[in-house]
Amino acid sequence: MLAIQTIADGLVLGGLYALAAVGFSLIFGVMGVVNLSHGALVMVGAYLAWSFWQAAGIDPLLAIPLVMVVLFGFGYVYQRGLIQLAVDRSSLMSSMLVTFGVALMLRNVLVLVFSPDLHSITPSYSGAPIVLGGVVFDPLRVAALTASLVLLGALAFVLRATRVGRIIRATAQQELAARLCGVNARHVYGLTFGVSAAFAGASGAILGIVIPFAPPSEALWTLNAFVVVTLGGVGSPSGALLGGLLLGVISTATSQVIGPSFPNAMMFAILVLMLMLRPAGLLGNAFARSR
Amino acid sequence: MLRAAIHAQRWWLLASVLLLAASAAVPFVLMPFEVRVGQLILLSTGLALAWTLLGGFAGYWSFGHTAFIGLGAFAAGLLETGILRGTGWWGFLAGLSFGCAVCALVALAVAWPILRLRGIYFAIAMLGVAQVLAELNNNVDALGGSVGVVMPRLATFGLRPEGLFYYLLLAATAVTMLIAFCVRHGRIGQGLAALREDEDTARMLGVPTERYKIVMFVASAALTAVFGIIYAHSLGYITASSVYRIDFSLNMIVYNLLGGIGTLAGPVIGSAIMVVLTQVVLGRFLSVHMFFTGLLLVALVLLAPKGILGLRWRGGRGAR
Repeated sequence: MLAIQTIADGLVLGGLYALAAVGFSLIFGVMGVVNLSHGALVMVGAYLAWSFWQAAGIDPLLAIPLVMVVLFGFGYVYQRGLIQLAVDRSSLMSSMLVTFGVALMLRNVLVLVFSPDLHSITPSYSGAPIVLGGVVFDPLRVAALTASLVLLGALAFVLRATRVGRIIRATAQQELAARLCGVNARHVYGLTFGVSAAFAGASGAILGIVIPFAPPSEALWTLNAFVVVTLGGVGSPSGALLGGLLLGVISTATSQVIGPSFPNAMMFAILVLMLMLRPAGLLGNAFARSR
Repeated sequence: MLRAAIHAQRWWLLASVLLLAASAAVPFVLMPFEVRVGQLILLSTGLALAWTLLGGFAGYWSFGHTAFIGLGAFAAGLLETGILRGTGWWGFLAGLSFGCAVCALVALAVAWPILRLRGIYFAIAMLGVAQVLAELNNNVDALGGSVGVVMPRLATFGLRPEGLFYYLLLAATAVTMLIAFCVRHGRIGQGLAALREDEDTARMLGVPTERYKIVMFVASAALTAVFGIIYAHSLGYITASSVYRIDFSLNMIVYNLLGGIGTLAGPVIGSAIMVVLTQVVLGRFLSVHMFFTGLLLVALVLLAPKGILGLRWRGGRGAR
């Protein structure tokens, strides 16, 4: 029973990890850019949702569209104005340093505006736990998991079945060929970054009701995204989902079996092992980008 | 090859010797605070040079070199405090050799699998290695990472403590510089440059890429450990969170980028500018310190993508 409970807890947490990592994975897959400010965008989403909740009493799950719109705009401008410049003038490697610089700036701004203290969001439906066949589910966490899965499904649908999604995938596979077919590659990169930021923001809004957050947590969410992507594979929502769920189960199982202070060590040990054994991730590389 | 390089670079070498002599006078001339800033510049320069042996010369950017700062510091500290119970300078030398040896061995053990990864994947894997070591050091009680280790005090020969560590760091930096010079202008440096530009071609042409990479990785790790151990002694008391710091890893890259990656003068210039800017100029504005460090990073990559040396020799020799 304990084992089942551990796995259930892990899966619930894993859905959130998956959502928080999917944008990171998308940018990595489409542009090859490692966005070290991804966790900071997650935090921005969390603080936006908190502000809406504090100021207007909007439920964080209902605030997701608002948060996503704001962060989409931010992401688009961020890519076109900064990342693209860095990639053009220097290299993909140093664009990573630009994103690190932006992460520092965002973290500092969040500390100045919201203080470095822990915040959390407690919506009205945080009621009694649901018991299903001896396994306990917290309604908040179930709501978070459902919202994450719905959003991941929506992204997968957009990427697979819509015109925009096809264009994004085409650009990821071969930029030159896509441009020859009349695609404005830079606009597509901006869009992709916007989508990625929007999903980071959405995951921030959701994580606010499950886990307390503070500006420095951004580093942890970036690292989580790294691990999820190396576990599941780059560039696809399904890879992110698999990686996220695995990461969730691994971290709850490690703290249950080995000790509560070891999930991080285990997580990174698995990261290194995965890189050495199967660097393309379990599901392979969705966009077959050369590395 | 080395002799020709010494001849070609004689003015640079002369300038370096003069700079070294001028640096040696610093503790007698300047105020203690300024000596501390100098100490920090030397530490940063040495770390950046140690990083560049692999990152700059071979093009393998490590994002986790703080692993060797922490590992070296703890190996030395545990030996000196836990086993030798602090016997002054002999203990320090024993700790220094032991810490370096541990780091070299660990580097050797992870080198073969990890150096097969390229580019961003190597960077991420090193980040992972650093995190694993940090977490283990912090959570395994016998290693004392969370409780901390008190480093033995050293006799100061009539110097102030900051002066003593200043000279230790100066000596270590000079040695590292010498090693880096010999590597860059020796046969191995040519091989590394070929490897950096195109690893497969270099290998096809008979450059022993695997061996060169491993040698540089181990040398880089051991030298990083030297600075980690001296730094730990200057702190006096270390915990896992004070020596395994992701900002160390990133700063090593930033100093190189700012000065000019793959050059010898680059790390010196980069760390001097960055330390003065962040410690002296921004030191008064602690609440926005991080913001401006970030802004500086962004501006740096956009305005001087090849570093300050790259600005001077646009498209010429030197950088890259």
